[in-house]
Amino acid sequence: MYKTRLLVATFVVALVAACGSEPAPPPAPTGPTPEELERRRQDSIARVQAAEEARMRAEQEQMEREAARRAESLRRTLREVVYFDYDQSNIRSDTQEKLRAKADVLRGNPGVSLRMEGHADERGTSEYNIALGNERAEAVIQTLTGFGLDANRFSSVSYGEERPMAQGSNESAWSRNRRVEFVITAGGDELR
Amino acid sequence: MSVRTRATAPRTPVVPLLAALLLPVSATWLPTGPLSAQEAEQVIPGVALGLVYETTYVPPIAVLPFRSGGGDESQAEAVRQIVARDLRFSDRFTVIDSLPALPGEGIDYGLWDGLGADWALTGVLERTGTGEVVLEIELHDIVFASLRERRRFPLPGSGDPDFRLAVHQASDAVVTWVTGDNGMAASRIVFAMRPWGDPEGRSKELYAVDSDGENLQRVTWDESIVVSPTWSPQGDRVAYTSYKSGIPVIYERELASGQEHPLDTGQDGQQITPTYHPNGSTITFALLAGRRSDLHSYDARQRCCLSRRLGEGFHKNLQPTYSQDGRRIAFTSNRLGTPTPQIYVMPADGGDAVLISPYRYGERSYFTDPDWSPLSSKIAFAGRVDTGRTRVGGIMRYQILVADLEAGTNRLVQLTREGNNEDPSWAPNGRHIVFTGERSSGHGVFVVDTGTGRTRTLVAGVRAEDVDWSPLLGRE
Repeated sequence: MYKTRLLVATFVVALVAACGSEPAPPPAPTGPTPEELERRRQDSIARVQAAEEARMRAEQEQMEREAARRAESLRRTLREVVYFDYDQSNIRSDTQEKLRAKADVLRGNPGVSLRMEGHADERGTSEYNIALGNERAEAVIQTLTGFGLDANRFSSVSYGEERPMAQGSNESAWSRNRRVEFVITAGGDELR
Repeated sequence: MSVRTRATAPRTPVVPLLAALLLPVSATWLPTGPLSAQEAEQVIPGVALGLVYETTYVPPIAVLPFRSGGGDESQAEAVRQIVARDLRFSDRFTVIDSLPALPGEGIDYGLWDGLGADWALTGVLERTGTGEVVLEIELHDIVFASLRERRRFPLPGSGDPDFRLAVHQASDAVVTWVTGDNGMAASRIVFAMRPWGDPEGRSKELYAVDSDGENLQRVTWDESIVVSPTWSPQGDRVAYTSYKSGIPVIYERELASGQEHPLDTGQDGQQITPTYHPNGSTITFALLAGRRSDLHSYDARQRCCLSRRLGEGFHKNLQPTYSQDGRRIAFTSNRLGTPTPQIYVMPADGGDAVLISPYRYGERSYFTDPDWSPLSSKIAFAGRVDTGRTRVGGIMRYQILVADLEAGTNRLVQLTREGNNEDPSWAPNGRHIVFTGERSSGHGVFVVDTGTGRTRTLVAGVRAEDVDWSPLLGRE
């Protein structure tokens, strides 16, 4: 019984197939030509290469960004303003640490030169404050040369009370104006 | 000296008629007191307050209307007003001013004697054949009923910058005829100031103004910082520090041509606080090199040759000023070891320095800006002592002091009490002092007469710094 059914089914299928149409022609060769294949192969190689290059470029950029960030941080360390007590030019202990950090950067970057700009608060006469600002700038240079750095890398100018950082006649303004600023005069583009 | 003997007390009470003729003369004086509530009185301990003012008689002088030979009455009146104000500013006269023209020629000595005048001044503006204008003034002695002096002063055209100077010279002549002393009307004052309209700006330029407060002019346009200008003793040049090259360098400026020369010392360092030797041969200044600042001299005639004056330790020595004979220098230094400066005097060739500012051990005093009188042994300077009384609103106020070296070490007087006062500089008459000040009414440049203590405002409403008074100008 089961066999009979199978036979009938096979027959029906054959009948249907025989009644369908003319026998189909052999299919046209729809696959890529050898040239196309070669092109695709090249494309794929190019894509991989491009991806690799992009990756490397990104890596490079990342490194450059990091280098720039590091250079920026070094620059910030070099340019960090140091402050002084009223009518004083001696180096405070917090200043000592700032100067030590600057000395480390300078040691690693022998091409860098700095100009120290000394300032004073508005109290006292303008002329005496120029001398005071000079003393502050020179005290900073002395400390840095004391760390073993070459004095020829440093120059100084004193502005006295002429270039205040903060306006106002109160201690908070004065304390910000009693300072030495640092200007990178050479080697600023090659900080590592 | 041709000062005659005369009474030193008023002879005649001023009659009501005269009082009616007087304009309110006192309007030109700043009252020295009473101080406002915010202005605590500033007295430095151990210093005599105020000069022992002269009790000498201040003679009344009538400045009569000037006549005009050429017909220009308004110019004659303008000239008369300049002279009358100069005489008032001289503090040597009580000026009887704004008088009506009296009929007739000549001076009615009896009338002026009755009105209480000791002197009468007349003037005539005449146009000569060559078109020149000449001012002829006559000083009449009312007491002795006679013409005392007559002199002619050629005047440049009224648009000429030297026109006022020529009139001021006539005023100075009157002062000298009566007192035997130099005047100071024919002089100017220089100072450093932030330009108008840019008070918070970063530049500070050189300015100049006449002794009567007229003719305020900006001299430099460097857009840099000008510090401590100083006159040459001939009055033809001003030396000052400028930052225009990047660091402070002293320049000598020829005022007529505007030409400038930097001090070429051949030595690195920042140059500040120049001063001329009284004979004009050298400029002495402070050179900042390393941590120290020392006084050096420079040959102003050869424009060369730095020579070192002083030097010891890490001290600040600056603001030199020569004695009238050029043999001594007063300067500012912190050589005592105190962080704040004091005033010292030493021989001009170097040597032991003597402290002259009123320093007391343990006291935080600050004395600076010395200026030696061109005619005497007096040194003016500014200073403060940090006591509860000198501290107002947390800010220490500075006052003007005068030390008289001839009168002994304790002869120190304080000239100002009100507000904040700095940068004193002597007039060529060795009597008046110009200084910068801050009052409840604002900042300004002021002139004080050390003879009477009277103070006037030279330039109101400016934050001037580093004022310096010229020698007498326009002398042949």
